[in-house]
Amino acid sequence: MLIEIGHFALVLALVFALLQVVLPTIGMIKHDGILSDLSRPLLWMQFFWILIAFFILINAFLVDDFSVKYVANNSNTQLPSIFKMSAVWGAHEGSLLLWALILAAWSVAVSIFSKRLPAEVLNHILIILGLISIGFLLFLLLTSNPFERLDIVPIQGLELNPLLQDFGLIIHPPMLYMGYVGMAVPFAFVLSSLIRGQLDSTWLRWSRPWTLVAWAFLTFGITLGSWWAYYELGWGGWWFWDPVENASFMPWLAATALVHSLSVSEKRGAFKHWTVLLAISGFSLSLLGTFLVRSGILTSVHSFAADPARGLFILIFLVIVIGGSLALYAWRASLMQSNNTLSLLSRESGLLVNNVLLMAAMLSVFLGTLYPLLLDALGLGKLSVGAPYFSAVFVPIMIPAVLAMVIVPFLRWKKDATQRITGLLKWVWVGVGLLFVISTLLTDNVSVLLAVFLFIWIVTHSLVLFFQRLSQKGSMNLAFIGMIFAHIGIAVFLLGATVTTQYGVEKDIKMDIDKPITIAGYDFIFKGVTRLSGKNYQGNKGHVEVYFEDDKISDLRPEKRQYVTGMPMTEAAIDPSLYRDIYIALGESLEGDSWSLRIYYKPLIRWIWLGGLLIALGALLAAFDRRYRLRVKV
Amino acid sequence: MSLYLWFALMVITSSIWIIWFLYRPLKSNAMNLEGSNIALGKQKLLELEQDLHQNLIDEKQFNQAKEEIATTLAIELQQVSNIQNNANDNTWVLILILALLPVMSIGVYQYLTPKSNMSQPLKSTEKPLSLEQSANKIVQYLQTNKYDYEAWKMLGLTYFELGNLDLSIEAYEKAYQINPKNPRLLVEYASMMISASDNQFSDKSVKLIKQALEVEPNAPDVLYLAGMFAVSQRDFNLAKGLWQRALNALPEGSIGRVALVNILSELEAVEGGQDMPEHSISVRVDVSNEVLKSRSREGFIMIYVKSAKGSPMPIAIKKIKLKDFTGQVVLTDQDSVIQGNQLSRHDQVIAVVRISATGSALLGVGDIQVFSKIINVADNPSIHLEVK
Repeated sequence: MLIEIGHFALVLALVFALLQVVLPTIGMIKHDGILSDLSRPLLWMQFFWILIAFFILINAFLVDDFSVKYVANNSNTQLPSIFKMSAVWGAHEGSLLLWALILAAWSVAVSIFSKRLPAEVLNHILIILGLISIGFLLFLLLTSNPFERLDIVPIQGLELNPLLQDFGLIIHPPMLYMGYVGMAVPFAFVLSSLIRGQLDSTWLRWSRPWTLVAWAFLTFGITLGSWWAYYELGWGGWWFWDPVENASFMPWLAATALVHSLSVSEKRGAFKHWTVLLAISGFSLSLLGTFLVRSGILTSVHSFAADPARGLFILIFLVIVIGGSLALYAWRASLMQSNNTLSLLSRESGLLVNNVLLMAAMLSVFLGTLYPLLLDALGLGKLSVGAPYFSAVFVPIMIPAVLAMVIVPFLRWKKDATQRITGLLKWVWVGVGLLFVISTLLTDNVSVLLAVFLFIWIVTHSLVLFFQRLSQKGSMNLAFIGMIFAHIGIAVFLLGATVTTQYGVEKDIKMDIDKPITIAGYDFIFKGVTRLSGKNYQGNKGHVEVYFEDDKISDLRPEKRQYVTGMPMTEAAIDPSLYRDIYIALGESLEGDSWSLRIYYKPLIRWIWLGGLLIALGALLAAFDRRYRLRVKV
Repeated sequence: MSLYLWFALMVITSSIWIIWFLYRPLKSNAMNLEGSNIALGKQKLLELEQDLHQNLIDEKQFNQAKEEIATTLAIELQQVSNIQNNANDNTWVLILILALLPVMSIGVYQYLTPKSNMSQPLKSTEKPLSLEQSANKIVQYLQTNKYDYEAWKMLGLTYFELGNLDLSIEAYEKAYQINPKNPRLLVEYASMMISASDNQFSDKSVKLIKQALEVEPNAPDVLYLAGMFAVSQRDFNLAKGLWQRALNALPEGSIGRVALVNILSELEAVEGGQDMPEHSISVRVDVSNEVLKSRSREGFIMIYVKSAKGSPMPIAIKKIKLKDFTGQVVLTDQDSVIQGNQLSRHDQVIAVVRISATGSALLGVGDIQVFSKIINVADNPSIHLEVK
């Protein structure tokens, strides 16, 4: 019965989402304040019912209710409880329910924390968010019902993909979804302004903190995903330019451009066209990413056609969201005229150049991700686009963007002069040059040298800017500190990613018991393998002692598991540190007591995720800047 | 409380919520768009002055920017249409909600729920279905789908889990009549028959294995069963050959492969030592009153030993209903799960006591397990385990 109540709760949530759109709209047309203001209570009730449905689904997993098809397909009695909970969002239906829940949660947050927004604007925004909610709830109920019952109840359920039986799965998807769904908020702000025909300061000022929070979550989610792939997949990689990864990276690039574009629009009223388009594309790419990952298009182009109901719904929804918002944009384009003047060398122009570069980078990823899918779908053959394409196209676009990134904050608004900038920064550039010359003594690897240069470039400029501001009384604020954090985060990431790619060592070797092997200056001694037994798996656990200059630094125990469904899994053993990781994956048993092992030496790999965390932290700091908390006096 | 009563309660709660806010509207922040834009215009001017102070804009540009802020504000104020909201009589909304909310929600729910499922939820309980309920549901289903051999097979398995071997075999026989060429069915059916006759191979079970071998000669589970039959006939060479073939068919590193390797090495031990002495393990189990109170007397206590290293499969097992359990069992070679893999062939084992509501081979929700330390079988030990 609980399952039917969960299903009905979802239906009620849909009804409330419909009312959230219809009643306030009638209220606005009739100028009825009471009806218009119903948007908030209606939204809260919608959230409540989705939350109830979500808890009921979690409960179904925890009590092993295999009469529910989704539970039977993704869990079994032997799955540890913590993974039963995370299995809720381990497959299509449950993750869409999580999407709907997070969307409602974001909407509730907007309704509660937007105290400085005029009620009429807030009501409009909630109507748009309600419309998006309707789309998702309909998609859930019509094509992806997580509460579908089975006619015949199996005694035991199937296995949750062992790859997903990991701490990473518990937090990575919710964080990523927080980012994806969060992009709905600036989208709703933009659409409500377009509909009202008032692309004003109110919209620009109050949508930026929400955009920053969504961007922070997106950054954090992607960083978590990269970390999870590194330690869970057993390949020692952190980014594969896989379409699923790209699906999250594209909205991130658009959101990065949007937070910068919004900063110009809110302060100077410029680039409104651009900001509107970025907000629309940010959310559209989020939608595209979610659907690409969850519709099965990426696993196989044909699975899309295999489920015509879902595929058709996705297409219609995307067309309505993207086509509808672009049509609105075209209709209201005349309202976005700006008389503000600016010169070629100004902070506004600098941010615009960076924006264009970010969007060009995003388009290069878009092309590399969707073109092979399109070819496959049209039956024109298979094309594999991997790291070489992205290194050749994406990286060259991003280098000038990174170079300009730290110069722009030194530029003045509206107009600046080259002489002033060169005069201001000439000693900084001399310092950067000197540091770079010293670094050339340490390596001759061109890629590493370029990364070191960019690292020095970003950090030096950021620190100079920081201390310059520090000396000006009362000019330090959270937005500025957040920017410094985020820019240094990019530098840390760049150096980590390049050094680990260029200097990382990877060895597939046969190891005999007690025979040491030296890799990257470390001695590895294989001590053998013991049997391993978990709640829903069995396997082998290796033991490798790691020595550095005759001192034992670590005992690593990589595992090879065999889950009850027969799926094998590699659990790598990692000795982590800020300057290097030692990573061992257990391979196959060879003759005698020998085993094959994969050993990786990964210098500075942690810097990749440290950089991501710094960017996310910077975004959060900026979102809580004082000017977004100021009470507007009427 | 019936399902539709729950639905009614949910709809009533929802209606009360809306009506409440219809007559007790939320307080707005009394801010209009005009006021907001003016305030933000002022704020932007303050920020512009700060920029000037921080040398982020020069004097000339500052004045121009100031003008631009003023112009922008003027345009924004022009766009604002300040129409006062009224508080109208919303009785029609009240009527609409009271009428539409139940109609829409129940209507959409009924539209989305298949007709066959509509009546079932009313009867179902909040707890997940027990094995008995599952069996009943399958029986119900089979009344209208009597040629669904998968359903008959599942019914057979469910009855087996319930310990009702006769009904289990009957269900398997029905499935077999419908589809006699499904190797999975043949293997399962044969396994049930062997279990039902104390691990003895009847003519019927041998026939089923042969049929399965004809359909899928290289299926590991079929070869495994055929090997077991060969061992029961003491044809160890044939068993070895069959299990070697199964080994070749199993993927590297799979659990089945590990188990087969163990069995093959045990088979070699059997061949090497026909006159090995017989051993036994005496297990005394104290089950606490708290545990006994929380369990049905119809539940099971399973006492078994498994290898200390290698396969987790039970070597010898005793399964007794809790109401019949006297507190002590002795596990001997007679209790071995597989002939040829007797308890006495093992050096070191671990004893396990499991209290289970269903007696299922798989660890179920709420089952309690207690493990012993590693035991040397050759000592004919007596051990004591407590279940608290």
